[in-house]
Amino acid sequence: MNREEFLMRLEGMLQSISPTEKEEVLQYYRDYFEDAGPENEQSVIEALGNPADIAENIKKDLQGDDGSRATASDHAVMEYGSPEACERDNYNGSPKAGERGNYYDSRTSHADTGYREPVPAEKRMPGWAIVLLTLLIVFASPVLIGLLGVLFGLLVTWFALIFSFGVTAVALFAVLFVLIIVGAMCVTLDPLVGLALAGGGLICGGIGLLFLMLTVAMAGILTPGIFSGLGWLFGRRKKGKTV
Amino acid sequence: MVFNTGATLLDAIVLAVVSKEPEGTYGYKITQDVRQVIELSESTLYPVLRRLQKDECLEVYDLECGGRNRRYYRVTARGWAQLSLYKSEWQSYSEKITGLFEGRIEK
Repeated sequence: MNREEFLMRLEGMLQSISPTEKEEVLQYYRDYFEDAGPENEQSVIEALGNPADIAENIKKDLQGDDGSRATASDHAVMEYGSPEACERDNYNGSPKAGERGNYYDSRTSHADTGYREPVPAEKRMPGWAIVLLTLLIVFASPVLIGLLGVLFGLLVTWFALIFSFGVTAVALFAVLFVLIIVGAMCVTLDPLVGLALAGGGLICGGIGLLFLMLTVAMAGILTPGIFSGLGWLFGRRKKGKTV
Repeated sequence: MVFNTGATLLDAIVLAVVSKEPEGTYGYKITQDVRQVIELSESTLYPVLRRLQKDECLEVYDLECGGRNRRYYRVTARGWAQLSLYKSEWQSYSEKITGLFEGRIEK
């Protein structure tokens, strides 16, 4: 068996591990042969032993990644407790070192990605959202009360306007009748004054009609429109909350 | 050698060997250096180096050497902290055993 055969057998035995991990192993042993020198190739192959055993050890070690050894050494660092112990080194590691870091991260989280992503998103949201909402309601309460007051005032004003327009219309119609009656009575005495009075009465009646139309429009068309609009707005907001 | 070298002691030895080279050292040399101290199969070291790297006690970088990239290992700040923990643990451990062997420790 020469070096190439050794590496090929080792690669064949490592099919079950990730390509990145496999490439690391092969690079290590390629380096190893290079550094041992061609003259030592055979003795290195003998010393390294069976590629199958090497692969077996590596795979066992990969499986034990989250096992007791790794945590034990982490724990030891924690126990040591010096500030440097937790400090990440500030060397600019080679790009490959960075890649490896990412690679490990993705590898360890890969198994439970399916669960991890949706569950906390749903469970965590209400937690801080409720706190925020409560704070918002507490701090915004003066503004909210003020807004409610304004809304109430606007509504009262609205209905008062409708009422006063209606009353104006009724009053103008009353004036219309009175003036026409008075005008009719005056026609025999002085036709011009009588006609003028009747004309004034008709003008008042016309204006009264306008007010009546306005009242009907405000009360019968605009008010239901406003309320259904408000209802739609609140309905939408409620929907937004529940979804 | 009649004593087994456990995984933790092996970690400590490898960290100590790599720490002797502030600029970093490479797999073959680490293996030879470790083998000067303890008996070790040549294929034992890759998993150890990989694990130390994963635990962020060692970092790797590639350096060109004779027309190819050679992978170097260097002890990180975390590795230094871990090594000094190992050293002090070893100190008390070996003192106790030595003391027992030499009869300095009374029952």
